[in-house]
Amino acid sequence: MIRVLAAASAVALVALLRLTSRTEVVLWVGLMGLALAAVALAAGWRWAATAAAVLFLVGYTLALGLERGPVEPGVALSFGLALLLLLAAVDLTGRASGATVRGPVLGRTVARWTVLGAGSLLAGTLAMELATAAAGTLPAIASPLLAAAGGLGSVLVVAALFRRAG
Amino acid sequence: MSGRLTPLALSILAVAAWAISLGVLAARPEPFLVALPGLLVLATLARRAPVPRCVVAHRISGDRLFEGETATVTVTVSADSPVALVELLGPLPPGAQLGSGHHRALMTLRAGDVVEWSYELRFPRRGVHDLGTIAVRMRDRLGLRTWEHRYVDSITVRVYPRIVPLRSLPRPFHTQPSVGDYVASALGEGIEPGDIRQFAPGDRIKHVNWRASLRLGRLHVTQRHLERNADVVLMLDTLAEVGAPPGTTLDHSVRAAASLATAYLARKDRVGLITYGGVMSWVRPASGATQYERLADGLLRAEIVFTYVAKDLLRVPPRVLSPQALVVAITPLLDHRFAKAVLDLAARGFDLVVLVVSPVEVTRAALAGSPTDDLACRLWALERRAELAELRRHGLPVLEWRPPEPLEAALVGVRRRRVRLASAG
Repeated sequence: MIRVLAAASAVALVALLRLTSRTEVVLWVGLMGLALAAVALAAGWRWAATAAAVLFLVGYTLALGLERGPVEPGVALSFGLALLLLLAAVDLTGRASGATVRGPVLGRTVARWTVLGAGSLLAGTLAMELATAAAGTLPAIASPLLAAAGGLGSVLVVAALFRRAG
Repeated sequence: MSGRLTPLALSILAVAAWAISLGVLAARPEPFLVALPGLLVLATLARRAPVPRCVVAHRISGDRLFEGETATVTVTVSADSPVALVELLGPLPPGAQLGSGHHRALMTLRAGDVVEWSYELRFPRRGVHDLGTIAVRMRDRLGLRTWEHRYVDSITVRVYPRIVPLRSLPRPFHTQPSVGDYVASALGEGIEPGDIRQFAPGDRIKHVNWRASLRLGRLHVTQRHLERNADVVLMLDTLAEVGAPPGTTLDHSVRAAASLATAYLARKDRVGLITYGGVMSWVRPASGATQYERLADGLLRAEIVFTYVAKDLLRVPPRVLSPQALVVAITPLLDHRFAKAVLDLAARGFDLVVLVVSPVEVTRAALAGSPTDDLACRLWALERRAELAELRRHGLPVLEWRPPEPLEAALVGVRRRRVRLASAG
């Protein structure tokens, strides 16, 4: 059942890629990601799942660059959630293989990720609204620098959290 | 109990970092949104999560088994606080196999939940196995943090060698003073009738032989042979072995030694043990059920310890290796030092029987069975036949046991004189 969830996430990622762009290059990248995800599922390898997730991500960015369409926050958030679900499901598959599973392990995992999905949707909408409001007041030349600084800042915050937790 | 980050958290971090980098490079907001759920998940690390608490206990269905038997391990987990995911790794010692179920378990627990899980372990080989440690790994709700702990309890399982009932046993030449099953040549209290002699004052009326008395016209009594026990010393070769566990020559030798010990102890004999190898150890001859425990413990620990040094049997105290004892040397005869030790014992006048566990059959069973292997085994068998003939030329009774044929089949071949033993004490 956990494997089905992981497989469904991988298929959803390919479908989202296909929805973003119909080009052959993106499809091939998506299929490579799918193959890597299948390997991760079969062998229970976390590194393969991470590599598949990065490959899907590269395909998605490629699709965005090729299409140059309007921003679709719903698709992007769904893509992010599907990536997370893929990673978590492969992780759980590796742990559950060759083990006795007692209690509603899968049900509770899915419930947690559903709550997280709803929270992400809310946070995403809020972030987009804030960004749209702030975009009008900022000079266009400072945007790339701000984006880079924001990215670096978020990575530093996460690193600090890791240091504290680990 | 200290917590640490899981590989899943690192994977999420890697993917989020990639998404942010690609967003900056492509100058698109979507990759940032892709990273958002991951960053939200990682943001939960800011909260100090309470350490989940659960108590683990386990029990074993039996702590004394014979080779090939199974034991059920039952693990009970009771949660003091909610545990989102607990991963348990039950004991699976080297040499044991899973009979049924899994030795790993994954469960979700609410506060107050008590969950029991069990699995079966099969022990194909003798030994003392430690089943006292259970590794517990608890994770937080999103699987980002983990806490590990080991529950250690002193639980061991002793797996004794398989025993086969034996009827044909090499008969000792000498007996000891204690009562046993061997008919001695000396006369006294016993069951087996011996000589007839004239009645003398002090003789019991129940010993009067009435038929002889009537025929000879005087009172005669029947004398009886004493029934004595003997000292048997099992000498186990632990210098070298061939084959794959649990069917190595040493495994077969240990099973043979255990079966012989049981059979001799059942005859009220005093049985001792010498393991002759890199490490030499011994058990003093004694009789009774407790002695079987001592011998079995000695056999459990028997293992090959390589050495260049040839051990001298003179180191063994005379109380262990008495000149009156029957020595049963159990060996695959792979190391010439053991053959030398056996010849030395024979030269010193010990009553000796050599039980040779054929390494050819054991090796053949471990090989794939190609024509080359078969040819090599046949040549080896020829060489060994010559070696055994050499030992027999020295006057040693050599019995060859080719597992998996029954041990009884090898012992039936022993042709020893039924000697009315002179030494009755």
